[in-house]
Amino acid sequence: MKKIITIPSSFEEIDKSLNIIDGFIIGIKNLSININLEINDLSILDKYKTKEIFVAINKNLNNCELDLVRNILIELNNYNIKGVIFYDIGLLNIFNNLNLNYELVWSQEHFTTNYDTINFWNDMGAKYTYLSSDITIDEVNDISKNTNSKLMLNLFGYLPMFASKRHIVKNYLNNFSLKDDSKINYIEKEENCYPIIDNEIGTICYSSHILNGIDEYLKVNVDYVVLNSFNIDINLFIEIIKLFKTVNEDNVLEYKEKIDSCLNTDKGFLNKSTIYKVKNNEK
Amino acid sequence: MKNKCELLAPAGDLERLKIALKYGADAVYIGGPLLSLRANAKNFTFEDIKEATTYAHNLNKKVYVTVNIVIHNEELKYIDNYLKELENCKVDAIIASDPAIIRRALKNTNIQVHLSTQASTLNIETVKFWKNLGVSRIVLARECTKEEIQEILNNVDIEIETFIHGAMCAGYSGRCVMSNFLTNRDANRGGCSQICRWDFDLLSESKKIIKGDKPFTFCSKDLSMLKYIPDMIDMGITSFKIEGRMRSIYYIATTVSVYRKVIDAYYNGEYKYDEKLEQILRRCANRDSVPQFFNNVYDNSCSYYNGRVEISNQDFLGIVLDYDEKNNIATIEQRNYFKVGDKIEIFGPNHDIINYKINKIFDEDNQLIDIVNHPKQVVKLIIKDKIDKDDMLRIKYD
Repeated sequence: MKKIITIPSSFEEIDKSLNIIDGFIIGIKNLSININLEINDLSILDKYKTKEIFVAINKNLNNCELDLVRNILIELNNYNIKGVIFYDIGLLNIFNNLNLNYELVWSQEHFTTNYDTINFWNDMGAKYTYLSSDITIDEVNDISKNTNSKLMLNLFGYLPMFASKRHIVKNYLNNFSLKDDSKINYIEKEENCYPIIDNEIGTICYSSHILNGIDEYLKVNVDYVVLNSFNIDINLFIEIIKLFKTVNEDNVLEYKEKIDSCLNTDKGFLNKSTIYKVKNNEK
Repeated sequence: MKNKCELLAPAGDLERLKIALKYGADAVYIGGPLLSLRANAKNFTFEDIKEATTYAHNLNKKVYVTVNIVIHNEELKYIDNYLKELENCKVDAIIASDPAIIRRALKNTNIQVHLSTQASTLNIETVKFWKNLGVSRIVLARECTKEEIQEILNNVDIEIETFIHGAMCAGYSGRCVMSNFLTNRDANRGGCSQICRWDFDLLSESKKIIKGDKPFTFCSKDLSMLKYIPDMIDMGITSFKIEGRMRSIYYIATTVSVYRKVIDAYYNGEYKYDEKLEQILRRCANRDSVPQFFNNVYDNSCSYYNGRVEISNQDFLGIVLDYDEKNNIATIEQRNYFKVGDKIEIFGPNHDIINYKINKIFDEDNQLIDIVNHPKQVVKLIIKDKIDKDDMLRIKYD
């Protein structure tokens, strides 16, 4: 049975969706990337202890952050969280020297693409994997057959496609003495608009289209399906969770069209392999 | 001071490999026939790799092979045989980031493993992890500051390699897949279409265009650490890496010879910062370069708002095919237009820069000509200073 977890954008959204989600992913202020809601005070997690909570500490870590991360990992042991989602291998090395009672989720966004590497990190102590959005459903199912790792997969929402330490929007504004206080900007190319956020820890950029993989929900063999509410109206997002919660073979096409009709969606790479060697593909 | 640092150069093929080693690289890194992040480059066959390692080892130098793509299920079946082939070719190390490759290399071969910069290694704990696994060298993330590199060197006894020159990614290595989304070409498997160099419209939250004098871009200036080589040697960094497996022999010869000169001068106690060398590097790449994150500066001074227009370098005039020492006749293969009256420079690994004014040019039939304007045209010049095969001619910088 697949579980539905969200990357919520507010506590209001969590509260509104609490009865229909199995869990959610939340970030820690200044230690998370591509996570919409970040906290400083961990005690708020107690309020949601009936749900599976995953805490994302998934930025690239610098030396000066290692002690802070170690302390947070220890403190998180006092809360009933399911796991910590990590990107930087330094976090795993710290985790393995502590005796903590929650799981690690290997989540190196675009590297989680084959079962052998997933099994390696499983052997190293990360028993969960957050799969890349750059692979196809066939690849996901092939991974599922060949690993014991618990698998998570994005099936709805904007997809992360860029992360940098650089302040790319701020640098542009500064360079040309421009003023803009937007929390989210967009970059546009050939009528496609890509959300871009420049914050304290750098710049992240998302896909132009919203992934809608509801028609793959029934076919995909993963343990957790992740729905991301970034830049989506809260009420619409709650309706979308409900669709995922009730989708079946009879209504799947209707549900897919329902979502497609109100949002700028596509299917990402779920049914489309990326090109590896351009010359071969041009033949 | 530890052992002398290694100067590590890129090579896209055998010709460039030999030039890199001849001009002073201690080691080169190349792409093999599979699993390398320059999928669209010519890359080396196994026969080429054997020739490369034989050539390099005869000079007491090394060859590393990049096996640094992010592996998908379908590639897993190739890894074991591929690594065995590389071992048979006697490569000195592979450069990898995916544990599917690293674990197999450590378990099944005697090849050394260097952790690729694709892994974006920035901190002590990460370095410790890979060291404990058996990796012998870490290529640090380009985002590391001087202090961070020093902390790592102080806390973990492992070889550290850092980039000193070349193009920069706008994002963390491995965390940018804009190429996948905008062109369907897989950035982490060798297909990067450099979306970071494209122009975009920047919009506000309310989707109004925010327009500067130049278009919005992710593009970063290049990296140049020339000024900081003495600091980096003192820090104890093992290897200094030049970026650019797709670059020309001229680029490789120029960058390698400049850095070789600076490194040797520092070890010999003769180092003096020379702005002229900075100029040579700048002109060679035709792009602005800065020290980037080393000084923890990554503001708009590191950004590049020059559009996608990059004028190709016309400085490289020709390469020496042969030098007849008895008659002082150099046989030159043309690479860019030159003519009688031009003031040029001749550089090579065995001598200082030679300033030379072209008074006479002879064609292959020993007839006097005034201009050399055919691609790869072979001509002869009378040059009294002794030069060597594979020396290069470039325009004289003022």
